[in-house]
Amino acid sequence: MTATASSESAKVEDFIACGAADAIPRFYGDALVEAARRDPRIVCLCADLRGSTETDLFARELPDRFVDAGIAEANMIGMAAGMARCGDIPFVHSFCVFVTRRCYDQVAVQVAYPALPVKIVGFLPGLTTMLGVSHQAIDDIALMRALPNMTIIEPSGSEQLGAAVEAALTVDGPVYLRMKRPDTAIPGLLPRSLTPGKGEILRLGRDGVIIACGVMVAAAMEASRRLAANGIDAGVVNMPTIKPLDETLVVESARRTGLIVVAENHSIIGGLGSAIAETLLEAGVSTGFARVGIQDRFAEGGSTPYLHAKFGLTADAIVEAYERAAGRRKAMLASSSAA
Amino acid sequence: MASMLKAVNQVSPPLDERSKYLRRLIVRALDKGERGHIGSSMSLVEILRALYDDVLRFRPVEPKWPDRDRMILSKGHGCITLYVMLADKGFIPVETLDTFCHRDSILGGHPESNKIPGVEASTGALGHGLSIGVGMALAARMQKRDSRVFVVMGDGEINEGSVWEAALSAGKHKLSNLIAIVDYNKIQSAGPTREIQDLEPLLDKWRAFGFAAIDVDGHDLPQLRAALQSAPLERDRPTAIICHTVKGKGIPFAEHDPNWHHKAKVAPDVIAKMYAALE
Repeated sequence: MTATASSESAKVEDFIACGAADAIPRFYGDALVEAARRDPRIVCLCADLRGSTETDLFARELPDRFVDAGIAEANMIGMAAGMARCGDIPFVHSFCVFVTRRCYDQVAVQVAYPALPVKIVGFLPGLTTMLGVSHQAIDDIALMRALPNMTIIEPSGSEQLGAAVEAALTVDGPVYLRMKRPDTAIPGLLPRSLTPGKGEILRLGRDGVIIACGVMVAAAMEASRRLAANGIDAGVVNMPTIKPLDETLVVESARRTGLIVVAENHSIIGGLGSAIAETLLEAGVSTGFARVGIQDRFAEGGSTPYLHAKFGLTADAIVEAYERAAGRRKAMLASSSAA
Repeated sequence: MASMLKAVNQVSPPLDERSKYLRRLIVRALDKGERGHIGSSMSLVEILRALYDDVLRFRPVEPKWPDRDRMILSKGHGCITLYVMLADKGFIPVETLDTFCHRDSILGGHPESNKIPGVEASTGALGHGLSIGVGMALAARMQKRDSRVFVVMGDGEINEGSVWEAALSAGKHKLSNLIAIVDYNKIQSAGPTREIQDLEPLLDKWRAFGFAAIDVDGHDLPQLRAALQSAPLERDRPTAIICHTVKGKGIPFAEHDPNWHHKAKVAPDVIAKMYAALE
């Protein structure tokens, strides 16, 4: 591990630490307003969730470019497509479940197919809500990944929320932003950049690499620290762009270490883990491999720490997965040397 | 029940030479493509003819002219009629109609905006067009353009809930630059609309959603022109024009018959009979 990677990783952990009792900052909402002041093409649509999507700021600051679509996501997507065809750059907002699954046909035919610059912004990714199965997006990445022309970006945390807006704007076509609001104030937060299509090495790692997105990046850093206590040097990659995947970094990480663990706050089917498995197999890389995510089941309502513990989205689960992957790696090496 | 009575008693004027000519082009595409939504295309001819001949502002040599009016054929399966109008107006060569549904043709079984000049949206998945129209009408207002947006829907299509989401939003935003048109031919894919999913009272529904709504004989060109040219019918309201039409209009043996909703491999003698009916 390099000194640079180590000091950067320390910063990431700092961001995750809980802050004081200040008002919860609204990094996304502020960044969107700021971008819209610079670019008059940006318009904002919301499906009656202004506070939860931080678009009340936009509604207040730029009311002439704000449309509340009401609780009608399919129509909101169609409207955004019509506006994009007239030269606007619409950002549409709801919870992750509703802005993907609820209006999938419109997203596919009216946004993805014509490759329009509609930025689809969802909040409450995976198991981050008390509100139960109806509000938990465990398949949104899978749905969006299956659509040609769609870019998928999930920031690692508050430090990348603002950068996600800029990243979405550097992509010409449609983008799905999978966002999580901070739970608390974060004093001294240092914003981090986000380059679409690029993974970010937080720790290099000699023995294996944990590739994670969203809230699982912090868990991956913690897992890496625990593994280090046992003498295992596991790297961590933050993969904020899930599609198009940084295949070069994935293949290089696997070739270099022979061990990959993927961690995501999403079903193990169709998300980052699937994308990486497909990439590695087609690249002909033989590697120990394990996925951390929701194990093909629906969850339930509960606090985020409770749900993450119960459904295996923790540093412990990543350490266990790492050990499984290491076992597979050993078995593969043994069978190849026996042959 | 006013709408239904009108439909039952409807006596449209006879088709003039131009309406027959446009229908012969539809038969030509159907013949060369060996398939097509014939009933759905024939009911639509006078609606699109009135729009393209007398109402819409467009430039065939500059299809993306920002100040054009928009026409979205939300009932994308009626696309042969749209292709015929686009050919007639010079967006595409008339000969291109002969490639309908051929491999690599720009003219597929549903219209695609990325392939065909003059097509404003890729439709076919029903219930999408009015939402797109609402977005375009809002964008025109925000951009201070006087473009109008016309969305042509099928009667079966408006079974889709998203149509009514869009109608709600059009009413809320008082989109006087939006005109919703329903090709009310009373027959959807499998049978009569009143049996599959009754729509009545249809005018009242649009009015309840904030539209100024009227019904017209969708094969009577003076009526169509008058309605389309007078939109918005009321200040600060979107307009809905319910066009009472006949599925398969102009081909006596196809009229009112769900079996002619879509046809493939129509025999040469039947094609000849279709042409004969349109002489």
